[in-house]
Amino acid sequence: MTAPVHLDGINHWFGDFQALTDISLDIAAGEYITLLGPSGCGKTTLLSVLGGFVEPSQGTVRIAGQDVTRLAPAKRPTTTMFQDYALFPHMSLRDNVAFGLRMGGMGRAKRHARALEMLALVGLEKDAAKRPHALSGGQRQRVALARALAVEPDVLLLDEPLGALDLKLRRSMQDELKAIQRQVGTTFVHVTHDQEEAMAIADRIVVMNAGRIEDAGPPARVYRDPATLFAAAFMGEMNRIPGVNENETTRTAFGKIHNPRMPEGKVTLCLRPEAIRIGKGGFSLGRATVQDAAFFGTHVRAHVTPEAAPDMRLVVHLPPGSIPEPDDVLDLCADHDGLTVFPAEEA
Amino acid sequence: MMRAAPWLYLVAAFVFIYLPVGALVLFSFQGGSLPVPPFDGPSLQWYGDILSDDDLTDALRNSLIVAVGSAAVACALGFLAAYALARFVLPGAALMRGLLIAPLTVSYLIVGLGLLMVLQRLGLGLSLWTAGIGHVVINLPLCFAIIYASMGAQQQNAERAARDLGANEAQVILLITAPMLAPAILAAFFLSVTLSWDEFIIAFLLTRFDITLPVEIWSMLRSGLSPRLNAIGSLVFLVSVTAVLLLEILVFRKRA
Repeated sequence: MTAPVHLDGINHWFGDFQALTDISLDIAAGEYITLLGPSGCGKTTLLSVLGGFVEPSQGTVRIAGQDVTRLAPAKRPTTTMFQDYALFPHMSLRDNVAFGLRMGGMGRAKRHARALEMLALVGLEKDAAKRPHALSGGQRQRVALARALAVEPDVLLLDEPLGALDLKLRRSMQDELKAIQRQVGTTFVHVTHDQEEAMAIADRIVVMNAGRIEDAGPPARVYRDPATLFAAAFMGEMNRIPGVNENETTRTAFGKIHNPRMPEGKVTLCLRPEAIRIGKGGFSLGRATVQDAAFFGTHVRAHVTPEAAPDMRLVVHLPPGSIPEPDDVLDLCADHDGLTVFPAEEA
Repeated sequence: MMRAAPWLYLVAAFVFIYLPVGALVLFSFQGGSLPVPPFDGPSLQWYGDILSDDDLTDALRNSLIVAVGSAAVACALGFLAAYALARFVLPGAALMRGLLIAPLTVSYLIVGLGLLMVLQRLGLGLSLWTAGIGHVVINLPLCFAIIYASMGAQQQNAERAARDLGANEAQVILLITAPMLAPAILAAFFLSVTLSWDEFIIAFLLTRFDITLPVEIWSMLRSGLSPRLNAIGSLVFLVSVTAVLLLEILVFRKRA
């Protein structure tokens, strides 16, 4: 089962604090969405609004065209996979997974069969008689997923589901989550603060900050061409180069770029570390002195001080073939399509 | 010599605690008619004597009924109060918590006298019911405190998940909260049973014709010492020990 979700003009206040501001978002049926942002950005509040645990002060939530804004969690076609899994410790895995079906009035034999099917989907059918405390963190997470999917929700809400797992397990669970989502076709809305996780898993990333949506789009677009400075910085490491816009041209310490998009005034030019390379052409950064360099397997990460702007420190990703020494001087440049420009933040 | 000192201390401490109980049990097997040395048993005659005494066996049965009944009611009320105060934001919650626990500090004599006055003003006759009410009053704060202390975020999250999966409030309490809190609820129950089982003052003030065992023992004491009292005391002790052992086995072993 799957359905589209429409959020329209959602505002929410906790007392005087505005947790969500003008949130409007359309999610297609069967889409895998991640809500990405730092803690306190409102992503979990937004998930709670979708799940029915928080009733928004303003705005409407529609699932499959039906207005569910004031509907209790139990009455919605959504289920939530909670951050700490919230498994029932006094029940076997089978009874945990069958719980939602039992509440829905399904007979014992039928719901047990269905629970075993769901446990098979996550590879735990042999452990159906075990209790949750006998499982590892990754296994508990799978049980929580099976339990949430057993009732065939239109929309599955995942609240930092991989937060408690170690890095390696997290990466493999990401792939599994995505594969299961493809298999069942349910709309997934997944909250995370890990941008790598968001990129690995999502069809579309929604970047949030201070209760607002900063950017929403496919991972590659949000990473390469973010809508705001915040989204740019949150999606990955970023060099910020100050500049001034005049007559459709941005002036920086490294020279001028033609830039008809931006209004006049102070701007920040953003450059991903991997967009910078050794050589000439494109946007030239000139000669730069290496401060330090470290080997990261797929690349060498170096801090450099450009001669054109000695008070600036740039982070550069270089090919892993050779590691520069401190005080080496490199000739650096960047391609124009690796550059993004935003109005400067009010400091 | 110095190494023996801690052991000596340990033995002395345990002798101090258990000598009275040991003497009581030992002289319940006395052959003669006075529970004083020398010991001339063993003999089971006093056990036979008390078990064929209808007044005593009635009192024993009454005590069990009052203990189990009042403990069950105190647990149920304590659980509901704890659930409400732990899960909902209520006006004056701190005051309510205080008022629920405060009776722990009031002496049983005062609680019993107060109840006696209220019951007589209401024109209700004294019976096992009134003694039971008195025991609920003294055990409710304890049950509330034990159960409230064990309500944490873990149950709360499980309750939220159950609601999300379609459970109504009654189903949440019966299928999730109560089973998850079973250790605390059982601990509160068995503690209430043992406290009610050998409670004297309130039972004495609030019963009339049907009386509980401690009240019966008290009335027997007035006719002087006898190994019968030792035998009764041993039986009471046995029941209390059984309750504590059950608590240990059912509740605390499971957790480990």
